[in-house]
Amino acid sequence: MCFVLAWAGPFLWMVSTSFKLPSQVMTRDIEWIPRTFTLQNYVAVLKYPIATWALNSIIAATIATGLCIAASALAGYALARLRFPGRKLIFMIFLASLMIPPEIGVVPLLIGMIRMDWASTYQGLILPTVANVLGVYIFRQFFLTFPRELEEAAIVDGAGPLRIFWSIALPLARSPAIAATVIVFTLNWNNFLWPLLITFDEDMKTLPVGIAAFAPVVGTHTQMEGYAVAMAAVTLLCIPSVALFLLLQRYFIAGLSAGGLKG
Amino acid sequence: MANDEQTAAAETSAVAFVGRSKIDWTGYAFVAAFAVPFLLFNVAPVLFGIYVGFTDWAIIGEPNWIGLDNYREALHDTWFKQAFVNVLLYALLVVPGVVVLGLSFALFVNRSWPLSGLARTILFTPNVVSATVIGLVWVWVLDTQFGLLNHYLGWFGIGPIPWLTSANWSLIGVSIASIWWDLGLGFVLFLAALQDVPKDLYEAASIDGAGFIRQQFAITLPHIRPTISMVVTLQIISTMRIFSQVYVMTNGGPAGSSASVIFTIYQSAIVRNMLGYASACSVLLFLAVLAVTLLQRLVLREVAHA
Repeated sequence: MCFVLAWAGPFLWMVSTSFKLPSQVMTRDIEWIPRTFTLQNYVAVLKYPIATWALNSIIAATIATGLCIAASALAGYALARLRFPGRKLIFMIFLASLMIPPEIGVVPLLIGMIRMDWASTYQGLILPTVANVLGVYIFRQFFLTFPRELEEAAIVDGAGPLRIFWSIALPLARSPAIAATVIVFTLNWNNFLWPLLITFDEDMKTLPVGIAAFAPVVGTHTQMEGYAVAMAAVTLLCIPSVALFLLLQRYFIAGLSAGGLKG
Repeated sequence: MANDEQTAAAETSAVAFVGRSKIDWTGYAFVAAFAVPFLLFNVAPVLFGIYVGFTDWAIIGEPNWIGLDNYREALHDTWFKQAFVNVLLYALLVVPGVVVLGLSFALFVNRSWPLSGLARTILFTPNVVSATVIGLVWVWVLDTQFGLLNHYLGWFGIGPIPWLTSANWSLIGVSIASIWWDLGLGFVLFLAALQDVPKDLYEAASIDGAGFIRQQFAITLPHIRPTISMVVTLQIISTMRIFSQVYVMTNGGPAGSSASVIFTIYQSAIVRNMLGYASACSVLLFLAVLAVTLLQRLVLREVAHA
C-alpha cells in the first residue's frame, strides 16, 4: 500500500507546489504542506491566453468527440446488425488500421491542411481526430449482444433501419455510449502531436500545447515564472480529465478492458 | 474465448434474422458516416506518406521520385541511428517496468479488499492526464537539486542524480515518467485477467502445501499469459512511438541522448523541412515496431512451450 500511495506522490506534489509562494518552492527539506497558501500562481497563469487555449480545447475535443460518437454508433450498429456484403471485411480493415502508426500520415496530412489553408483553423484541428476506431469497436461489441426481439416488432411494423436505430437501438445503448464518450473525449482532450503541428498561432493552441511552453526546455514561460506557476497551469489542465475519470471510472475501465485497445 | 462464441452466435442470429428479406443497402450509408472521415484523414495520408518517402519533397515545389535514397540516407544518419537505439532502450526499460509493476500491483489489489478501490483509482489516474502534465510534473520531481525523487533517494545515501540534465541519465528519467503514465492500462487489464482465474485452483494448491510465490508461478502466470502477451505488445507499440514526454521533458537532449524516432521525424519535417526523408523514417519505424512485436510474440510462445 505504501507503493500505491507513492504513486499518488507526484500529483500531490504538483498540487502542493501550485499553492506555494515561489520563494518557498526550492527548499532543502520537502514541505508537503505549503508554509503559506497562496493563489498568486493561478493568477500568474491567467496572464497567458489560457482562457483562449481552454476554449479551443473545449471546442475541439467536444466537436471531435460528438462527431466520432455519432459516426461510430451508426457504423457500429450497421456492422453488427445489418446485412450487407463486405461488412466483415470493413470491420477487419478498421481494426487493422490500429496497427499502422498514424505518424506515417501526419506529414502529408499537415501539407494537405496547409495547402487548403486549414492550418490553425478548427476544421484543421478537429477533422483528422474524428475517425477513432475505438468508438466503432465499442458500439459494435454492444450491438452484437443486443436482444433481437426488440427489433423484430419494429420490423413487423414496417420501420426502416434508420427508424429502428434511432428509436429502439440507440436509446438502449447508453452505457457503451458513455464508455466511448469518456474515453474518446479524454484522448482528444490530451491529444498532443497533431495540435502541436497544426496550430501556428498562439491563439489557436489547445491547452496541452500551450501549457507545454511552461516546460524549462521547450519554452520561455518557466524561465521567468518557475515551477510554482507551471504546477498551477498543469493542475488546471488535468482537472477536467481527472474529474471525468473519477465520476465515470466504471465506464472508463469497462470500455478499455473490453478491447484492451487504446488510442 | 467464451465471449467470442457468444459474439459469433449473436452474429449468426442477427444475420439470419435480418437476412430473411434482402441486402440492407442502408448499411453502407451507416458505415459511410465513419468510413468517409476514416479514409480521408486516416488512410489516404498514410498511403500518400509511403509514396512521399520515395521522393525529395520539401514543402515548396513538386515531389521528385528518388527511389530508396531517403532510406539509404536514414541508415547512414547518426542522429536517426541514435534515436533508433534510444527507442529500443526505452522499450527495454518501460515495457518490463509496466509489466512487472502493473502485475505486482494487480496481485496486491486483487488480494486485499478494503482499499482496493482506492488503489485502483490512484494507479489508473496518471493514465487520463495529458503528456504536458506528465512532462512538467516529472521535470519538477526529477529536478537534480530540489526534486522529490533525489530528496528521498538521499535518505539512502544515493545521488543527487542529474536525471534530465546528463546524457547518461536523461533516457532513464523520461522512462520513469513514462512508466508512471502508462502503468494504469496494463494494471487494469491484469486485474481483469486475475479475476477470471478459478479460485479453487489456489485452494487445492495451498492444501498441497504450495506457498504464495509458488502458486503465482504455477497457477497465475500460465492463466494470464495471453493478457501478459497483449500488454507487452500494446506497450511495445506505444513506447517505440514515444514523443510528447520527450518533447516536453528534454527536447531530445542533452545531445540527442533522449531523442526518440518520432522526435527526429518531427525535427526533419518541421524544423529541417525534409518531408520525404521524414516520411521514409516513419515507414522504417513502422517496420521496426512490427518486427519487434512479432519477435516478442514468438519468444513468449517459445517460453510457454518450453
